Amino acid sequence: MTINGDDAAKVVPVRHYGRWVGMVVVVVLLVMFVQTLFSRPSFTPLTCSTSNAVRSCQHEWRFGWDVVFRYFTSSEILQGLVRTLELTIIAMAMGIVIGVVIAIMRRSQSRLLSSTAWTYTWFFRGTPVLVQLLFWFAFNALYPAVSVGVPFTHVTFFVLNIGTTITAFGSACIAFGLNEGAYFSEIVRAGLLAIDEGQTEAAISIGMTRGQTLRLIVLPQAMRVILPPTGNEVISMLKTTSLASAVGVFELLGAAGNISAANFKTIDLLITASLWYLIVTTILSIGQFYLERHYAKGALRNPPPTPIQRIRDDLEGILSKFHTARFAGADAPR
Amino acid sequence: MSVAMVEAVGVHKSYVGVEVLKGVDLSVARGEVTCLIGPSGSGKSTLLRCINHLEKHDKGELRVDGELVGYESRGAKLYELTDKRICHERSQIGMVFQRFNLFQHLTVLQNITIGQVKVKGVNDDVAKTKARELLARVGLADKEKHYPSQLSGGQQQRVAIARALAMEPKLMLFDEPTSALDPELVGEVLDVMRDLAQSGMTMIIVTHEMNFAREVANSVYFLDGGVIEESGDPRMVLSTPSSARLKLFLSKVL
Repeated sequence: MTINGDDAAKVVPVRHYGRWVGMVVVVVLLVMFVQTLFSRPSFTPLTCSTSNAVRSCQHEWRFGWDVVFRYFTSSEILQGLVRTLELTIIAMAMGIVIGVVIAIMRRSQSRLLSSTAWTYTWFFRGTPVLVQLLFWFAFNALYPAVSVGVPFTHVTFFVLNIGTTITAFGSACIAFGLNEGAYFSEIVRAGLLAIDEGQTEAAISIGMTRGQTLRLIVLPQAMRVILPPTGNEVISMLKTTSLASAVGVFELLGAAGNISAANFKTIDLLITASLWYLIVTTILSIGQFYLERHYAKGALRNPPPTPIQRIRDDLEGILSKFHTARFAGADAPR
Repeated sequence: MSVAMVEAVGVHKSYVGVEVLKGVDLSVARGEVTCLIGPSGSGKSTLLRCINHLEKHDKGELRVDGELVGYESRGAKLYELTDKRICHERSQIGMVFQRFNLFQHLTVLQNITIGQVKVKGVNDDVAKTKARELLARVGLADKEKHYPSQLSGGQQQRVAIARALAMEPKLMLFDEPTSALDPELVGEVLDVMRDLAQSGMTMIIVTHEMNFAREVANSVYFLDGGVIEESGDPRMVLSTPSSARLKLFLSKVL
């Protein structure tokens, strides 16, 4: 008996009854959930108890999708979205630069440099980011002016007036950037640790300097390890920026809050903002996939398929199943 | 009298608390092949790594091509070399590792060109031409677009040899180049090394391949416990060992 060839016996696949039951349960729950999204609440909310309100309450949908989409492309929301993206990009750029520097300092043979790096990470990871944000916002009051001159003397070359230089937006960028630097340095450090010491030795043995070894050999390979958690950090930063409304920077969530403060459609506007967060996150995830694919060069014998390739393969798989099923049906009468 | 390529006098090296080299003397003439043999932990690899300054020796004098390794003597003082000078010295000494250590993110061709371009400042096209010549020499002309992970161990080690040769070294160091290979792949690497020896390259090889040492080496050094127990012509040393330790060692490996 063989499983293929001319004298092939009929193969009976294992039946996964548990899996089928699970699939049915999940599908039913999904349909039920979707149905709730587009229906009215069956109970009468407390606010509808007065006779006048009853009529209007009965016609009230659970979620005001018309409100959600009316504000979806309103100028306030879009401006908030731009603010959110600006904050995310600037803070991540700062975080990445600081993170790489701190991670390299951590590896330095100088005790001063490595312990400074350690202390930086310790402090910025160890205090809430909201506190850091408020601190930088209050920086104007704490250090009204910074002067450049000879330390510990009265000689100054020029004075920077902080009160007029650091805006609320600037203080948010600094706060998120410095905070991100601390987290990102650990990600970079993990990446550098993941690369075999032999790579460094080989680079050094052909005469590369420490800097060249890091830049040309170690970091490009560490990228493979660094990228997935970086994707995490970018997405996390996207949402952390919503704290900026605490210092009066009205980014996406802040803008939604402003609108709902006026029209009391709190939940609907939260959905508006969340949909935008989801859209940006989706775009970022796609970008991350292709970046990871790029840096996987040489590490894998075969790169993973792209989502489009995977969908095509799945479709072909399903189609071929239909083909064989038809084939088997045609064979049956014989 | 021409200066020896490598000259070691009383070289010591300790790691935290452990003395690995306890005064090693060694002399390798130009164009000669020298094999270092001995049990693991005897200090063979450490000696090799001191020669291209991957490790810093603590005591003794170590010269490559007449120049002190890692130091410059001016008057009565020894000055430590700057990183730049050390890098330049290293670029003239090729090293082949037990575990190949090919750059995983670069193709075979890029592995061989990167040192030429980034360290020696050679033009990209010139570097590629040279890399292709070397690949042909180690019998891998058709693999230039492959990544290291797509090659067998023996092929990777031959690429590693080509990578080292691309720097036009005056001395080649081999740290157990065949120890990580499947038995049937050892031959192809030894063949490349044999060719290299015949072309007149000065080579120091840490190895457990006694037959190869007997056939190719001009001299062999037996290290045990951080000192050189016995040395000389490989046919003499390996056939009629005089020390009891070498007799015991050979009885185990042969």
